[in-house]
Amino acid sequence: MKLITKKHLPRRSLLRAAGIGIAMPLLDAMIPAFATQAQARTLTAPKRFVGVWHPQGAAPGYWSPVQSGKDFEFSYITKPMEPLRDRIVLITGLDVPEAFSTEAEPGGNHARGAVFLSGARPRRNAVAPFLGVTIDQLIAQEFGRDTILSSIQLGVEDAGNYGNCNWGYSCAYTNSVSWTSPVSPLPTEINPRVAFERLFGDGASQEERKRGRELNASILDSVTTKIPAFKRELGSSDQVKLDTYLENVRELERRIQIAMTSSVAEPDQEVPFGIPRSKDVHFKLMFDLIALAFEADITRSATMMLGRDLSGFTYPESGGTGAWHGTSHHGDKPSNIANYAKMNRYHVSVVANFLKKLRDIPEGDGNILDHMLMYMGSNMGNSHRHAHEKVPVILAGGIDGTYQGNRHFVYPDNTERTANLLLTILHLFGIQRNSIGESTRTLAIA
Amino acid sequence: MYRMKFSGCLLLLLPTVVLAQTPAATLDATVRSQIDKYCLGCHNQDDYAGGLDLGALLNENVVAHGETWEKAIRKLRAGMMPPPGKPRPAAKQYAELTVNLERKIDSHSTANPGSVMLHRLNRTEYANAIRDLLALNIDATTLLPADTSARGFDNIAGSLTISPTLLEAYATAAARVARMATGYWTSPTEMTYFAAADASQNQRLERLPLGTRGGFAVDHNFPADGNYTFQMQNFGVGTFNPGQQLELSIDGERKQLFDFTGVGLNVGMGGDLDGTLEVTVPVKAGSHLVGATFIDTGYRPHLNMVKEYARKSIENEPLPQLQNDPAVGFLKIVGPFEPKRSTDTPSLRKIYTCHPANSDAEPSCAREILGKLARQAWRRPVTADDIAVLMDFYAKGRKSGRFEDGIEVALRRLLVDPEFLVRVEKEPADLPAGKSYAISDIELASRLSFFLWSSLPDEELIALAAQKKLNDPATLRKQVKRMLEDPRSEALVTNFAQQWLYLRNLPSTSPDGIYYPNWDDELRKGFQRETELLFESIVRENRPVTDLLDADYTFVNERLAKHYGMPNIYGSHFRRVKLGPEFDYRRGLLGQGSFLSVTFTENFRISPVKRGVWVLENILGTPPPEPPPNVPALEETKDTDNPIRTLRDQMVQHRQNEPCATCHRLMDGIGFALMNFDADGSWRTLEGHPRKGDGQSYPIDTRVELWDGTAVEGPVQLRNNLLKYSPQFTRFVVEKLMTYGLGRGVEFYDMPQLRAIVAGAEKEQYRFAALVTGIVESPAFRMRTKQEGKQ
Repeated sequence: MKLITKKHLPRRSLLRAAGIGIAMPLLDAMIPAFATQAQARTLTAPKRFVGVWHPQGAAPGYWSPVQSGKDFEFSYITKPMEPLRDRIVLITGLDVPEAFSTEAEPGGNHARGAVFLSGARPRRNAVAPFLGVTIDQLIAQEFGRDTILSSIQLGVEDAGNYGNCNWGYSCAYTNSVSWTSPVSPLPTEINPRVAFERLFGDGASQEERKRGRELNASILDSVTTKIPAFKRELGSSDQVKLDTYLENVRELERRIQIAMTSSVAEPDQEVPFGIPRSKDVHFKLMFDLIALAFEADITRSATMMLGRDLSGFTYPESGGTGAWHGTSHHGDKPSNIANYAKMNRYHVSVVANFLKKLRDIPEGDGNILDHMLMYMGSNMGNSHRHAHEKVPVILAGGIDGTYQGNRHFVYPDNTERTANLLLTILHLFGIQRNSIGESTRTLAIA
Repeated sequence: MYRMKFSGCLLLLLPTVVLAQTPAATLDATVRSQIDKYCLGCHNQDDYAGGLDLGALLNENVVAHGETWEKAIRKLRAGMMPPPGKPRPAAKQYAELTVNLERKIDSHSTANPGSVMLHRLNRTEYANAIRDLLALNIDATTLLPADTSARGFDNIAGSLTISPTLLEAYATAAARVARMATGYWTSPTEMTYFAAADASQNQRLERLPLGTRGGFAVDHNFPADGNYTFQMQNFGVGTFNPGQQLELSIDGERKQLFDFTGVGLNVGMGGDLDGTLEVTVPVKAGSHLVGATFIDTGYRPHLNMVKEYARKSIENEPLPQLQNDPAVGFLKIVGPFEPKRSTDTPSLRKIYTCHPANSDAEPSCAREILGKLARQAWRRPVTADDIAVLMDFYAKGRKSGRFEDGIEVALRRLLVDPEFLVRVEKEPADLPAGKSYAISDIELASRLSFFLWSSLPDEELIALAAQKKLNDPATLRKQVKRMLEDPRSEALVTNFAQQWLYLRNLPSTSPDGIYYPNWDDELRKGFQRETELLFESIVRENRPVTDLLDADYTFVNERLAKHYGMPNIYGSHFRRVKLGPEFDYRRGLLGQGSFLSVTFTENFRISPVKRGVWVLENILGTPPPEPPPNVPALEETKDTDNPIRTLRDQMVQHRQNEPCATCHRLMDGIGFALMNFDADGSWRTLEGHPRKGDGQSYPIDTRVELWDGTAVEGPVQLRNNLLKYSPQFTRFVVEKLMTYGLGRGVEFYDMPQLRAIVAGAEKEQYRFAALVTGIVESPAFRMRTKQEGKQ
């Protein structure tokens, strides 16, 4: 039993209410007054990370800008990013060798999404997945210690355990791009309401959530009061273990205190319980939640999966036709490629809207976009050929305000890998690891 | 005669133990000469085989080197040493040597009961505790993260770590459990039951009406009276036989009959409402059996002939021209809507032992309710201070609501208390570290209940403990008997046996559908049930544990019987069947599909090595050493003079490499003897090429030399040879039970006690209850060694 309290609207009411969602993304009305916190963080704006993954690459010929270096002309697909030029870095020519199948580990071309932030080769095993830790988690460990949630994983497509996982490969590689350890994929939340509750608390209303937190705080306080007497008669190693228990209770109390003070102005609009019918609305809701979480400093690391491998969703808003996976198999025909490019451009525009929103939220001496990095990408380039090479890479954000945008890096074919980009990102965040996944060195993009 | 030394005052507690009058604690001359003759050839200073120089220990105190000698005893008991090909003493001398060595250690050892660390309730125990405390069935997997296993079990104290995330989960769980139990659940919940990827839904499910086919039968806990929405979606895409009807039932009563026409024909399951069948009906709070199943219309032949058991998975998808019966992909239950405060549920009846007539009567009633709950949850008599803490929280809830809201808040506090979430045992302050002492009756009650029930002690145990009567030997034995007969002892099957026999790996065992087309989820569940029922029969009928190796019966339903080739078994329920001579090879664990398939590897084949390792680990209790790094893969040989035709050919070639051969000799013999069993547990006499699948078949050769040098052919002779090692098997079962029951690793210093437990059960033919009683009466279970370190 998933004991999740959700303010639920029966499906029919939801459909009736859908008009609201389309006319005005629901969370727009929720923008709270976080001014006090923003002021409190003026000089030490935290660094944040968002990984945005999408399946099935990008239309060949429509992604890479023609010129490299500064002041390049945006390509058809990346065009929606142009208004953010000063904060955008594009990279052409990176490969994902870890995603290629081998003779020993054949198949699974559509089970390689999890390479995205790990740079590690998914082990061909249907039941005991083994990958690697992902950079969003390494960043969360470094920067998420003082937030209510260390990270959040969002998506829009359900992680069913049947249907579309490639033979021989665990569904975990398809379901999650965020792993805390080689064997621990984090579940991807697609329900906006559940995601909202994780961020803002458990309960049907703001009042209920507030009461819930207060009660939790007083219960935990009562427990901490009891523990010293409780442990007195125990053995020494048990006392140590109980001290850990006590520390954890205090840590939880601290996070609840953070939650109680930081959620002063919670969204006062209902977040839908069900999954929105329109993917366009769904994308906006999930990205709005990330923006909200960043603004309230509830978390500093997020991942978003725009789809799952083999996605059959359609995007009428893109102006193109057909379902995602089918369309991606364009057969290298010019007209089909052009059609697929529309869908790619649409997805980039969804992400660009999210970035614009972040840019419009002031923070410190700039805005949230200045103090974060988004890495949007895929583990395929030309998806018709399942080619895990020359993949699209969009970086956005100033990290600590100093990372320069307006650059397009081009690497010669088959010379560089995305794992090295991951290592570079970690170094940009001040995390000095020697390697991540199968990385070999850093890229000169700093 | 088994003897043990105890620190003086404790002798009173264990009057059967005699203080040893010790002659020299060194090996007898005969033993020394035997070891010299048969062991020192390899285990000497120069050769140092296995990192062991027995020569240096020959004249030393045996107890001082107990750890080494216990390893030696284990090898001897399992017939592992000397290795095949080296001279061995005659059987009689071999046995005498072993016994002599054991007696020497046993008679000079001081009992060390060891100490168990602070013990967090694991996920299973938490769910059972909630069930017994509040009469509430919860699926803890949706509330708490999985626990880490160690020594084969997930209840080992040292591995049950605590983290803020975990505490947050416990706090959230407490809030939800308290609300559900006290009956005023207002927010909708959601639960989705997914079909397994390899489910086939062309058979009737047990507990669903006759004349139905496939679907789901789930026990769902409805948190409140109210309306609930049930959504069902089809599994996969394809073209279906027309005229299908799907029934939704609650406790066997039909709530809705859907026409299935056209659903899911081309849209799959991607979008909202795509192919979803939905109905909203009122349901009362509590646990109800929800069925979502098809009306069976399979009276005429249809195109399911391709596979006997049509798996509803992606493998069926590329055949759009094939007509299938539809299957349910998932069942989602959402609600309550328009909830009402529940008035009668098992939880409410268990909690509200009094009903205040007016507000003046409320505090005393609250005290009574909370006192009872705290006594069971905290597993001890409660004090006025305990109640006062809870009443503070009762007051908080009562202030902003009604009586029940006060109880809810206090219950929430109660469930987050460390006295609920962790088990601790006190240490006497005035005893020096390293000394042993008897644990209190209250602590003993918890040890008993968590061992035999994986849950809280009940009132009978707590009451006896509170009166300090539980330590009385007769009372203790009576309680063990009562507890084993109680339905809660099912935990020994669902928790202990499932983990020991790797049954928990079955859900993720999935032989490839191309090679094993008859493998499906029903078969997997059948394998699991068969082994559970065999183990349960040992517990319930108090049989000798060695029956696990060669019981002349097993448990099957129609599906499993067909798979095993047993005729005339019809229907989905499991029943006991006698295994006659024609099914001799099915007797015992080694003939069961569960063991035969959990040892599967992902390389589309069975693994003789894994099977061998399993037997060494789980029957003989002598796990082989870890493989060295850089093990070469099995050869795809091009050597045409000596072509590889079978898996055995391939492995024999692999084994020619030293150092692999040394260990593989131990494991592979066992595995090759079992080659008649395919990875899906079916019986065969021919085998195809391990890789090529060229349509050629080759006879299977099961003639092997086993780890002890015995030559056998096939599974039955293997089993009979294993039975020679029944004493070692019995010991190993006790070792496993002790590990699980104590929640700590069983160490070399436990072995004298362990041998005493087994010896004590001899007159009862090593029956299950005798072994369990022996464990409960042992110093390890009833006593504790004070931990070292600062106070």
